[in-house]
Amino acid sequence: MIEYAIELHGVCKSYRFFELQNIALRLHRGTIMGLIGPNGAGKSTTIRILMGLVHQDRGEVRVLGHRMPDDQVAAKWDIGFASEDMRLYEPVTLGWHINFMKSIYASWDDAYAQVLLKRFGLNAEQKIKGLSHGQRVKAALLLVFARRPKLLVLDEPTTGLDPVARHEILRELMAVMAEEGRSVLFSSHNTQDVEQISDQITFIDRGRIIDSMDKEIYLDRWRRLRLEVPDGVALPSLPGVIGIQQTGRLAVAIANAFEPHLPNVYEDSGARVHAVENMTLEEIFVANVEHSREEVEA
Amino acid sequence: MKSNVILQVILKDWRQQRRMIVLSLLAGGIALAVLQMRGQTPLVLGTVFFFIAIMFCACLLPITNIVNERKKQTLAFLMSLPISSSRYGAAKLLSTFGMFVVPWLTLVAAALYMILFRHVLPNGVIPMMLILANLPFIGFCLITGTALVGESEGWGNAAVAVVNSSYWLAWYLLVSQVPSLSHNWTSPVAVWSPAVFKILGVEFAMILLILGTALYLQSRKRDFI
Repeated sequence: MIEYAIELHGVCKSYRFFELQNIALRLHRGTIMGLIGPNGAGKSTTIRILMGLVHQDRGEVRVLGHRMPDDQVAAKWDIGFASEDMRLYEPVTLGWHINFMKSIYASWDDAYAQVLLKRFGLNAEQKIKGLSHGQRVKAALLLVFARRPKLLVLDEPTTGLDPVARHEILRELMAVMAEEGRSVLFSSHNTQDVEQISDQITFIDRGRIIDSMDKEIYLDRWRRLRLEVPDGVALPSLPGVIGIQQTGRLAVAIANAFEPHLPNVYEDSGARVHAVENMTLEEIFVANVEHSREEVEA
Repeated sequence: MKSNVILQVILKDWRQQRRMIVLSLLAGGIALAVLQMRGQTPLVLGTVFFFIAIMFCACLLPITNIVNERKKQTLAFLMSLPISSSRYGAAKLLSTFGMFVVPWLTLVAAALYMILFRHVLPNGVIPMMLILANLPFIGFCLITGTALVGESEGWGNAAVAVVNSSYWLAWYLLVSQVPSLSHNWTSPVAVWSPAVFKILGVEFAMILLILGTALYLQSRKRDFI
Protein backbone atom coordinates (compact mmCIF):
# COMPACT_ATOMS: atom_id res chain seq x y z
CA MET A 1 0.00 0.00 0.00
CA ILE A 2 1.23 3.52 -0.83
CA GLU A 3 2.21 5.48 2.27
CA TYR A 4 1.76 8.94 0.76
CA ALA A 5 -1.13 10.24 -1.30
CA ILE A 6 1.07 13.09 -2.52
CA GLU A 7 4.85 13.41 -2.70
CA LEU A 8 6.77 16.32 -4.15
CA HIS A 9 10.55 16.53 -4.11
CA GLY A 10 12.61 19.47 -5.32
CA VAL A 11 9.86 20.77 -7.58
CA CYS A 12 10.70 23.98 -9.42
CA LYS A 13 8.75 25.95 -11.98
CA SER A 14 9.76 29.28 -13.44
CA TYR A 15 7.58 31.91 -15.05
CA ARG A 16 8.63 35.38 -16.12
CA PHE A 17 7.52 37.04 -12.90
CA PHE A 18 7.11 34.11 -10.55
CA GLU A 19 9.14 31.14 -9.45
CA LEU A 20 8.14 28.04 -7.52
CA GLN A 21 11.29 27.04 -5.65
CA ASN A 22 12.28 23.60 -4.50
CA ILE A 23 8.86 22.50 -3.29
CA ALA A 24 8.88 19.45 -1.02
CA LEU A 25 5.58 18.16 0.29
CA ARG A 26 4.21 14.90 1.63
CA LEU A 27 0.60 14.09 2.36
CA HIS A 28 0.01 10.87 4.30
CA ARG A 29 -2.89 8.70 3.17
CA GLY A 30 -6.04 9.33 5.17
CA THR A 31 -5.15 12.85 6.25
CA ILE A 32 -6.30 16.37 5.36
CA MET A 33 -3.64 18.91 4.54
CA GLY A 34 -4.41 22.62 4.45
CA LEU A 35 -2.22 24.55 2.05
CA ILE A 36 -2.24 28.14 3.25
CA GLY A 37 -0.69 31.08 1.50
CA PRO A 38 -1.40 34.66 0.53
CA ASN A 39 -2.68 35.47 -2.97
CA GLY A 40 0.02 34.74 -5.54
CA ALA A 41 2.00 32.52 -3.15
CA GLY A 42 2.03 29.54 -5.52
CA LYS A 43 -0.83 27.42 -4.15
CA SER A 44 -2.64 27.07 -7.46
CA THR A 45 0.58 26.46 -9.41
CA THR A 46 1.53 23.71 -6.96
CA ILE A 47 -1.92 22.15 -7.32
CA ARG A 48 -1.81 22.39 -11.12
CA ILE A 49 1.53 20.61 -11.09
CA LEU A 50 -0.01 17.92 -8.87
CA MET A 51 -2.83 17.50 -11.38
CA GLY A 52 -0.47 17.32 -14.36
CA LEU A 53 -1.97 20.50 -15.84
CA VAL A 54 1.35 22.32 -15.54
CA HIS A 55 4.63 20.47 -16.01
CA GLN A 56 7.38 21.13 -13.48
CA ASP A 57 10.77 22.27 -14.81
CA ARG A 58 12.58 20.11 -12.24
CA GLY A 59 11.77 17.72 -9.44
CA GLU A 60 9.63 14.67 -8.89
CA VAL A 61 5.88 14.53 -8.33
CA ARG A 62 3.98 11.41 -7.33
CA VAL A 63 0.25 11.31 -6.74
CA LEU A 64 -1.29 8.08 -5.41
CA GLY A 65 1.93 6.39 -6.50
CA HIS A 66 1.69 7.70 -10.07
CA ARG A 67 4.47 9.80 -11.52
CA MET A 68 3.16 13.16 -12.72
CA PRO A 69 2.63 14.47 -15.32
CA ASP A 70 3.41 11.29 -17.31
CA ASP A 71 0.86 9.05 -15.53
CA GLN A 72 -1.78 11.73 -15.04
CA VAL A 73 -4.53 9.80 -16.80
CA ALA A 74 -4.13 6.80 -14.48
CA ALA A 75 -3.86 9.06 -11.42
CA LYS A 76 -6.88 11.19 -12.26
CA TRP A 77 -9.26 8.23 -12.10
CA ASP A 78 -8.82 8.39 -8.33
CA ILE A 79 -8.50 12.16 -7.87
CA GLY A 80 -11.41 14.48 -7.32
CA PHE A 81 -10.36 18.00 -8.31
CA ALA A 82 -12.25 21.24 -7.88
CA SER A 83 -10.92 24.76 -8.08
CA GLU A 84 -12.32 28.19 -7.41
CA ASP A 85 -12.08 29.13 -11.10
CA MET A 86 -13.78 25.95 -12.30
CA ARG A 87 -17.16 26.46 -13.97
CA LEU A 88 -19.82 24.02 -15.10
CA TYR A 89 -21.69 24.24 -18.42
CA GLU A 90 -24.22 27.02 -17.98
CA PRO A 91 -26.83 26.11 -20.61
CA VAL A 92 -27.40 22.61 -19.19
CA THR A 93 -28.74 21.25 -15.92
CA LEU A 94 -26.96 19.75 -12.96
CA GLY A 95 -28.66 16.47 -13.89
CA TRP A 96 -26.92 16.63 -17.28
CA HIS A 97 -23.58 16.96 -15.49
CA ILE A 98 -24.44 14.05 -13.20
CA ASN A 99 -25.22 11.86 -16.21
CA PHE A 100 -21.99 12.95 -17.89
CA MET A 101 -19.97 11.95 -14.80
CA LYS A 102 -21.86 8.67 -14.55
CA SER A 103 -20.91 7.87 -18.13
CA ILE A 104 -17.24 8.19 -17.18
CA TYR A 105 -16.89 6.92 -13.61
CA ALA A 106 -17.94 3.40 -12.74
CA SER A 107 -17.42 4.40 -9.10
CA TRP A 108 -20.21 7.02 -9.28
CA ASP A 109 -22.45 6.67 -6.24
CA ASP A 110 -25.99 7.62 -7.27
CA ALA A 111 -27.47 7.20 -3.80
CA TYR A 112 -24.82 9.46 -2.30
CA ALA A 113 -25.39 12.02 -5.09
CA GLN A 114 -29.09 12.09 -4.12
CA VAL A 115 -28.16 12.60 -0.46
CA LEU A 116 -25.84 15.46 -1.41
CA LEU A 117 -28.50 17.05 -3.63
CA LYS A 118 -30.82 17.16 -0.64
CA ARG A 119 -28.14 18.20 1.85
CA PHE A 120 -26.87 21.03 -0.38
CA GLY A 121 -30.40 22.12 -1.32
CA LEU A 122 -29.80 21.62 -5.03
CA ASN A 123 -32.23 20.68 -7.77
CA ALA A 124 -30.91 18.40 -10.52
CA GLU A 125 -33.42 19.84 -13.00
CA GLN A 126 -32.12 23.39 -12.61
CA LYS A 127 -29.81 24.85 -15.24
CA ILE A 128 -26.37 25.92 -14.02
CA LYS A 129 -26.89 29.48 -15.27
CA GLY A 130 -29.78 29.83 -12.81
CA LEU A 131 -27.68 28.88 -9.77
CA SER A 132 -26.10 31.30 -7.32
CA HIS A 133 -22.32 31.27 -6.77
CA GLY A 134 -22.70 29.19 -3.62
CA GLN A 135 -24.96 26.69 -5.38
CA ARG A 136 -22.50 26.40 -8.27
CA VAL A 137 -19.65 25.61 -5.88
CA LYS A 138 -21.81 23.02 -4.13
CA ALA A 139 -22.81 21.52 -7.50
CA ALA A 140 -19.15 21.22 -8.54
CA LEU A 141 -18.28 19.59 -5.21
CA LEU A 142 -21.22 17.21 -5.48
CA LEU A 143 -19.82 16.03 -8.82
CA VAL A 144 -16.47 15.45 -7.13
CA PHE A 145 -17.68 13.83 -3.90
CA ALA A 146 -20.14 11.40 -5.53
CA ARG A 147 -17.29 9.88 -7.55
CA ARG A 148 -15.83 8.61 -4.28
CA PRO A 149 -12.24 9.52 -5.19
CA LYS A 150 -9.30 8.34 -3.08
CA LEU A 151 -7.78 11.81 -3.11
CA LEU A 152 -9.54 15.17 -3.08
CA VAL A 153 -7.62 18.17 -4.35
CA LEU A 154 -9.54 21.35 -3.66
CA ASP A 155 -8.14 24.71 -4.71
CA GLU A 156 -9.82 27.46 -2.67
CA PRO A 157 -13.24 25.78 -2.77
CA THR A 158 -14.80 28.02 -0.12
CA THR A 159 -13.76 31.37 -1.60
CA GLY A 160 -16.69 33.75 -1.93
CA LEU A 161 -19.13 31.54 -0.01
CA ASP A 162 -21.38 32.73 2.79
CA PRO A 163 -20.70 31.26 6.27
CA VAL A 164 -23.60 28.79 6.06
CA ALA A 165 -22.49 27.41 2.69
CA ARG A 166 -18.89 27.21 3.94
CA HIS A 167 -20.02 25.30 7.00
CA GLU A 168 -22.05 22.85 4.86
CA ILE A 169 -19.08 22.17 2.61
CA LEU A 170 -16.61 21.73 5.46
CA ARG A 171 -19.04 19.38 7.22
CA GLU A 172 -19.31 17.31 4.05
CA LEU A 173 -15.53 17.21 3.74
CA MET A 174 -15.35 15.84 7.27
CA ALA A 175 -17.95 13.22 6.34
CA VAL A 176 -15.91 12.23 3.29
CA MET A 177 -12.88 11.81 5.53
CA ALA A 178 -14.79 9.45 7.77
CA GLU A 179 -14.24 6.87 5.04
CA GLU A 180 -10.97 5.14 5.61
CA GLY A 181 -8.00 5.89 3.42
CA ARG A 182 -9.25 9.08 1.79
CA SER A 183 -6.90 12.03 1.62
CA VAL A 184 -7.56 15.71 1.03
CA LEU A 185 -5.35 18.59 -0.05
CA PHE A 186 -7.23 21.79 0.61
CA SER A 187 -5.81 25.15 -0.39
CA SER A 188 -7.13 28.38 1.03
CA HIS A 189 -6.17 31.76 2.32
CA ASN A 190 -8.98 31.44 4.85
CA THR A 191 -7.18 30.05 7.90
CA GLN A 192 -10.43 29.51 9.81
CA ASP A 193 -11.60 26.89 7.30
CA VAL A 194 -8.25 25.16 7.28
CA GLU A 195 -8.00 25.18 11.08
CA GLN A 196 -11.39 23.50 11.37
CA ILE A 197 -10.70 20.48 9.24
CA SER A 198 -6.98 19.96 8.65
CA ASP A 199 -4.63 17.47 10.29
CA GLN A 200 -1.58 18.90 8.61
CA ILE A 201 -0.79 22.49 7.69
CA THR A 202 1.60 23.75 5.04
CA PHE A 203 2.43 27.44 4.65
CA ILE A 204 3.55 28.68 1.28
CA ASP A 205 4.74 32.17 0.41
CA ARG A 206 6.42 33.69 -2.65
CA GLY A 207 6.86 30.29 -4.27
CA ARG A 208 8.49 28.61 -1.25
CA ILE A 209 7.17 26.22 1.38
CA ILE A 210 7.98 28.01 4.59
CA ASP A 211 6.68 25.43 7.05
CA SER A 212 4.77 22.15 7.08
CA MET A 213 3.70 20.10 10.09
CA ASP A 214 0.75 18.70 12.08
CA LYS A 215 -1.82 21.32 13.07
CA GLU A 216 -1.71 20.36 16.75
CA ILE A 217 2.07 20.74 16.81
CA TYR A 218 1.71 24.20 15.29
CA LEU A 219 -0.85 25.29 17.82
CA ASP A 220 1.20 23.76 20.60
CA ARG A 221 4.56 25.27 19.61
CA TRP A 222 3.49 28.81 18.80
CA ARG A 223 2.90 31.18 21.72
CA ARG A 224 2.68 34.90 22.29
CA LEU A 225 4.31 36.23 25.49
CA ARG A 226 3.24 39.63 26.79
CA LEU A 227 6.12 41.16 28.72
CA GLU A 228 6.85 44.25 30.75
CA VAL A 229 10.44 45.38 30.35
CA PRO A 230 11.68 47.77 33.11
CA ASP A 231 14.13 50.50 32.17
CA GLY A 232 17.68 49.22 31.89
CA VAL A 233 16.64 45.65 31.15
CA ALA A 234 17.52 44.19 27.76
CA LEU A 235 15.54 41.19 26.57
CA PRO A 236 17.82 38.28 25.70
CA SER A 237 17.78 36.72 22.25
CA LEU A 238 16.45 33.21 22.84
CA PRO A 239 16.27 30.17 20.59
CA GLY A 240 12.67 29.51 19.56
CA VAL A 241 11.69 33.18 19.73
CA ILE A 242 11.36 34.56 16.21
CA GLY A 243 10.47 38.15 16.97
CA ILE A 244 10.03 40.77 19.67
CA GLN A 245 8.01 43.95 19.25
CA GLN A 246 8.62 46.51 21.94
CA THR A 247 6.76 49.77 22.56
CA GLY A 248 8.08 51.57 25.63
CA ARG A 249 7.99 49.20 28.57
CA LEU A 250 5.63 46.74 26.89
CA ALA A 251 6.89 43.99 24.62
CA VAL A 252 5.39 41.04 22.75
CA ALA A 253 7.59 38.03 22.03
CA ILE A 254 6.50 35.45 19.44
CA ALA A 255 7.81 31.93 19.96
CA ASN A 256 7.65 29.27 17.27
CA ALA A 257 9.21 26.59 19.46
CA PHE A 258 7.73 27.34 22.85
CA GLU A 259 9.18 25.56 25.85
CA PRO A 260 7.58 25.77 29.35
CA HIS A 261 10.79 27.25 30.81
CA LEU A 262 10.76 30.22 28.38
CA PRO A 263 8.77 32.59 30.68
CA ASN A 264 11.23 31.82 33.52
CA VAL A 265 14.18 32.81 31.33
CA TYR A 266 12.55 36.17 30.66
CA GLU A 267 11.72 36.60 34.35
CA ASP A 268 15.37 35.81 35.22
CA SER A 269 16.51 38.51 32.79
CA GLY A 270 14.50 41.11 34.73
CA ALA A 271 11.35 41.28 32.61
CA ARG A 272 7.87 40.55 33.92
CA VAL A 273 5.73 38.02 32.05
CA HIS A 274 2.11 39.24 32.06
CA ALA A 275 0.62 36.52 29.88
CA VAL A 276 1.46 33.49 27.76
CA GLU A 277 -1.18 33.22 25.03
CA ASN A 278 -2.08 30.61 22.48
CA MET A 279 -2.12 31.86 18.90
CA THR A 280 -4.77 31.27 16.27
CA LEU A 281 -3.72 29.68 13.00
CA GLU A 282 -4.19 33.04 11.30
CA GLU A 283 -1.80 34.71 13.73
CA ILE A 284 0.69 31.88 13.29
CA PHE A 285 0.36 32.17 9.51
CA VAL A 286 0.97 35.93 9.47
CA ALA A 287 3.91 35.69 11.91
CA ASN A 288 5.39 32.81 9.92
CA VAL A 289 5.12 34.64 6.60
CA GLU A 290 6.62 37.85 8.03
CA HIS A 291 9.48 35.93 9.66
CA SER A 292 10.18 34.03 6.46
CA ARG A 293 10.24 37.24 4.40
CA GLU A 294 12.62 38.89 6.89
CA GLU A 295 14.93 35.86 6.66
CA VAL A 296 14.91 35.92 2.86
CA GLU A 297 15.54 39.67 2.72
CA ALA A 298 18.32 39.48 5.34
CA MET B 1 -14.50 -1.05 -16.14
CA LYS B 2 -12.98 2.26 -17.19
CA SER B 3 -14.90 4.13 -19.85
CA ASN B 4 -13.37 5.81 -22.88
CA VAL B 5 -13.09 9.42 -21.74
CA ILE B 6 -12.18 10.70 -25.22
CA LEU B 7 -15.39 9.18 -26.59
CA GLN B 8 -17.45 10.67 -23.76
CA VAL B 9 -15.96 14.13 -24.37
CA ILE B 10 -16.75 13.81 -28.09
CA LEU B 11 -20.34 12.75 -27.33
CA LYS B 12 -20.68 15.66 -24.88
CA ASP B 13 -19.50 18.10 -27.56
CA TRP B 14 -21.96 16.69 -30.08
CA ARG B 15 -24.84 17.01 -27.64
CA GLN B 16 -23.88 20.62 -26.91
CA GLN B 17 -23.30 21.70 -30.52
CA ARG B 18 -26.09 19.80 -32.28
CA ARG B 19 -28.18 22.96 -32.68
CA MET B 20 -25.45 24.61 -34.72
CA ILE B 21 -25.04 21.55 -36.95
CA VAL B 22 -28.78 21.48 -37.62
CA LEU B 23 -28.77 25.23 -38.29
CA SER B 24 -25.95 24.92 -40.85
CA LEU B 25 -27.72 22.04 -42.58
CA LEU B 26 -30.95 24.01 -42.65
CA ALA B 27 -29.28 27.12 -44.06
CA GLY B 28 -27.45 25.07 -46.71
CA GLY B 29 -30.68 23.24 -47.58
CA ILE B 30 -32.54 26.53 -48.07
CA ALA B 31 -29.69 27.81 -50.28
CA LEU B 32 -29.92 24.70 -52.47
CA ALA B 33 -33.72 25.06 -52.64
CA VAL B 34 -33.25 28.67 -53.86
CA LEU B 35 -30.74 27.41 -56.45
CA GLN B 36 -33.40 25.06 -57.80
CA MET B 37 -35.67 27.97 -58.71
CA ARG B 38 -33.51 28.61 -61.81
CA GLY B 39 -32.68 32.03 -63.23
CA GLN B 40 -29.77 34.38 -62.67
CA THR B 41 -30.81 35.87 -59.31
CA PRO B 42 -31.64 32.55 -57.56
CA LEU B 43 -28.39 31.14 -58.98
CA VAL B 44 -26.30 33.92 -57.44
CA LEU B 45 -28.27 33.99 -54.16
CA GLY B 46 -28.32 30.20 -53.82
CA THR B 47 -24.60 29.85 -54.52
CA VAL B 48 -23.60 32.64 -52.12
CA PHE B 49 -25.84 31.37 -49.30
CA PHE B 50 -24.65 27.80 -49.87
CA PHE B 51 -21.06 28.85 -49.24
CA ILE B 52 -22.06 31.17 -46.38
CA ALA B 53 -23.73 28.19 -44.65
CA ILE B 54 -20.49 26.20 -44.87
CA MET B 55 -18.35 29.18 -43.87
CA PHE B 56 -20.63 29.91 -40.89
CA CYS B 57 -20.09 26.37 -39.69
CA ALA B 58 -16.32 26.56 -40.33
CA CYS B 59 -15.96 29.74 -38.25
CA LEU B 60 -18.35 29.17 -35.38
CA LEU B 61 -17.78 25.50 -34.53
CA PRO B 62 -14.14 25.88 -33.42
CA ILE B 63 -15.02 29.02 -31.45
CA THR B 64 -17.99 27.52 -29.60
CA ASN B 65 -16.45 24.09 -29.14
CA ILE B 66 -12.84 24.96 -28.31
CA VAL B 67 -12.35 28.66 -27.49
CA ASN B 68 -15.46 28.87 -25.30
CA GLU B 69 -14.26 25.94 -23.20
CA ARG B 70 -11.41 28.15 -21.99
CA LYS B 71 -13.29 31.46 -22.10
CA LYS B 72 -16.19 30.15 -20.00
CA GLN B 73 -13.78 28.40 -17.61
CA THR B 74 -15.23 24.93 -18.17
CA LEU B 75 -11.81 23.67 -19.24
CA ALA B 76 -10.75 23.08 -15.62
CA PHE B 77 -13.84 20.88 -15.16
CA LEU B 78 -12.97 18.88 -18.27
CA MET B 79 -9.31 18.59 -17.29
CA SER B 80 -10.28 17.23 -13.87
CA LEU B 81 -11.38 14.10 -15.75
CA PRO B 82 -8.89 11.30 -16.48
CA ILE B 83 -7.57 12.94 -19.63
CA SER B 84 -4.20 14.46 -20.55
CA SER B 85 -3.74 17.65 -22.54
CA SER B 86 -2.76 15.70 -25.66
CA ARG B 87 -5.80 13.41 -25.34
CA TYR B 88 -7.96 16.46 -24.74
CA GLY B 89 -6.54 17.96 -27.93
CA ALA B 90 -7.27 14.77 -29.85
CA ALA B 91 -10.82 14.62 -28.46
CA LYS B 92 -11.50 18.25 -29.36
CA LEU B 93 -10.01 17.87 -32.82
CA LEU B 94 -12.04 14.71 -33.50
CA SER B 95 -15.31 16.16 -32.22
CA THR B 96 -14.96 19.51 -33.99
CA PHE B 97 -13.77 17.83 -37.18
CA GLY B 98 -16.70 15.41 -37.11
CA MET B 99 -19.20 18.19 -36.41
CA PHE B 100 -17.93 20.10 -39.43
CA VAL B 101 -17.53 17.16 -41.80
CA VAL B 102 -21.14 15.97 -41.35
CA PRO B 103 -22.82 19.18 -42.62
CA TRP B 104 -20.00 19.85 -45.11
CA LEU B 105 -20.26 16.39 -46.65
CA THR B 106 -24.08 16.47 -46.61
CA LEU B 107 -24.25 19.87 -48.29
CA VAL B 108 -21.56 19.07 -50.88
CA ALA B 109 -23.27 15.75 -51.66
CA ALA B 110 -26.63 17.55 -51.94
CA ALA B 111 -25.09 20.13 -54.28
CA LEU B 112 -23.58 17.38 -56.42
CA TYR B 113 -26.96 15.66 -56.57
CA MET B 114 -28.61 18.92 -57.66
CA ILE B 115 -26.05 19.39 -60.43
CA LEU B 116 -25.93 15.80 -61.63
CA PHE B 117 -29.58 14.82 -61.36
CA ARG B 118 -31.63 18.05 -61.17
CA HIS B 119 -29.39 19.82 -63.73
CA VAL B 120 -29.57 23.18 -61.92
CA LEU B 121 -26.07 23.92 -63.23
CA PRO B 122 -23.94 22.37 -65.99
CA ASN B 123 -21.74 19.42 -64.92
CA GLY B 124 -18.66 21.45 -65.88
CA VAL B 125 -19.05 23.41 -62.63
CA ILE B 126 -18.37 20.30 -60.49
CA PRO B 127 -14.53 20.57 -60.29
CA MET B 128 -14.80 24.27 -59.45
CA MET B 129 -17.52 23.58 -56.86
CA LEU B 130 -15.37 20.92 -55.14
CA ILE B 131 -12.29 23.15 -55.12
CA LEU B 132 -14.29 26.08 -53.70
CA ALA B 133 -16.02 23.87 -51.10
CA ASN B 134 -12.60 22.80 -49.85
CA LEU B 135 -11.63 26.40 -49.06
CA PRO B 136 -13.93 26.65 -46.00
CA PHE B 137 -12.64 23.18 -45.05
CA ILE B 138 -9.07 24.52 -45.00
CA GLY B 139 -10.28 27.64 -43.19
CA PHE B 140 -12.04 25.46 -40.63
CA CYS B 141 -8.84 23.46 -40.01
CA LEU B 142 -6.82 26.66 -39.61
CA ILE B 143 -9.29 28.16 -37.12
CA THR B 144 -9.57 24.86 -35.22
CA GLY B 145 -5.79 24.43 -35.03
CA THR B 146 -5.26 28.03 -33.93
CA ALA B 147 -8.05 27.84 -31.35
CA LEU B 148 -6.58 24.64 -29.91
CA VAL B 149 -2.96 25.71 -29.82
CA GLY B 150 -3.44 29.47 -29.29
CA GLU B 151 -5.62 28.96 -26.20
CA SER B 152 -7.26 32.35 -26.38
CA GLU B 153 -10.24 34.12 -27.83
CA GLY B 154 -7.87 36.63 -29.44
CA TRP B 155 -6.05 33.98 -31.46
CA GLY B 156 -9.35 32.36 -32.42
CA ASN B 157 -10.81 35.66 -33.61
CA ALA B 158 -7.60 36.51 -35.48
CA ALA B 159 -7.76 33.17 -37.31
CA VAL B 160 -11.43 33.81 -38.18
CA ALA B 161 -10.55 37.26 -39.56
CA VAL B 162 -7.63 35.95 -41.62
CA VAL B 163 -9.62 33.03 -43.00
CA ASN B 164 -12.71 35.06 -43.88
CA SER B 165 -10.73 37.76 -45.64
CA SER B 166 -8.71 35.17 -47.56
CA TYR B 167 -11.70 33.45 -49.20
CA TRP B 168 -12.24 36.19 -51.74
CA LEU B 169 -8.59 36.34 -52.66
CA ALA B 170 -8.44 32.58 -53.12
CA TRP B 171 -11.60 32.61 -55.24
CA TYR B 172 -10.25 35.45 -57.37
CA LEU B 173 -6.91 33.69 -57.90
CA LEU B 174 -8.59 30.41 -58.83
CA VAL B 175 -10.89 32.05 -61.36
CA SER B 176 -8.35 34.41 -62.87
CA GLN B 177 -5.16 32.36 -62.71
CA VAL B 178 -6.39 28.85 -63.58
CA PRO B 179 -7.86 29.06 -67.10
CA SER B 180 -8.75 25.36 -67.26
CA LEU B 181 -11.16 25.97 -64.37
CA SER B 182 -12.87 29.11 -65.55
CA HIS B 183 -13.07 27.99 -69.19
CA ASN B 184 -14.75 24.70 -68.46
CA TRP B 185 -17.41 25.51 -65.89
CA THR B 186 -20.10 26.01 -68.53
CA SER B 187 -19.17 22.70 -70.17
CA PRO B 188 -21.92 20.01 -70.13
CA VAL B 189 -19.37 17.52 -68.77
CA ALA B 190 -16.96 17.85 -65.86
CA VAL B 191 -13.40 18.41 -67.09
CA TRP B 192 -10.84 16.88 -64.71
CA SER B 193 -7.70 18.61 -65.92
CA PRO B 194 -4.26 18.07 -64.26
CA ALA B 195 -4.62 21.57 -62.78
CA VAL B 196 -7.84 20.51 -61.00
CA PHE B 197 -6.16 17.42 -59.51
CA LYS B 198 -3.16 19.50 -58.52
CA ILE B 199 -5.31 22.07 -56.69
CA LEU B 200 -7.39 19.38 -54.97
CA GLY B 201 -4.18 17.61 -53.92
CA VAL B 202 -2.73 20.82 -52.46
CA GLU B 203 -5.99 21.45 -50.59
CA PHE B 204 -6.02 17.99 -48.99
CA ALA B 205 -2.32 18.26 -48.16
CA MET B 206 -2.99 21.59 -46.42
CA ILE B 207 -5.82 20.06 -44.38
CA LEU B 208 -3.59 17.20 -43.23
CA LEU B 209 -0.64 19.49 -42.54
CA ILE B 210 -2.66 21.96 -40.44
CA LEU B 211 -4.37 19.26 -38.38
CA GLY B 212 -1.13 17.30 -37.89
CA THR B 213 0.75 20.42 -36.80
CA ALA B 214 -2.00 21.37 -34.33
CA LEU B 215 -1.94 17.88 -32.76
CA TYR B 216 1.84 17.90 -32.56
CA LEU B 217 2.00 21.34 -30.92
CA GLN B 218 -0.76 20.38 -28.49
CA SER B 219 1.12 17.26 -27.41
CA ARG B 220 4.26 19.36 -26.73
CA LYS B 221 2.53 21.77 -24.33
CA ARG B 222 3.98 21.97 -20.82
CA ASP B 223 1.44 24.34 -19.28
CA PHE B 224 -2.16 23.66 -20.07
CA ILE B 225 -4.28 25.75 -17.71
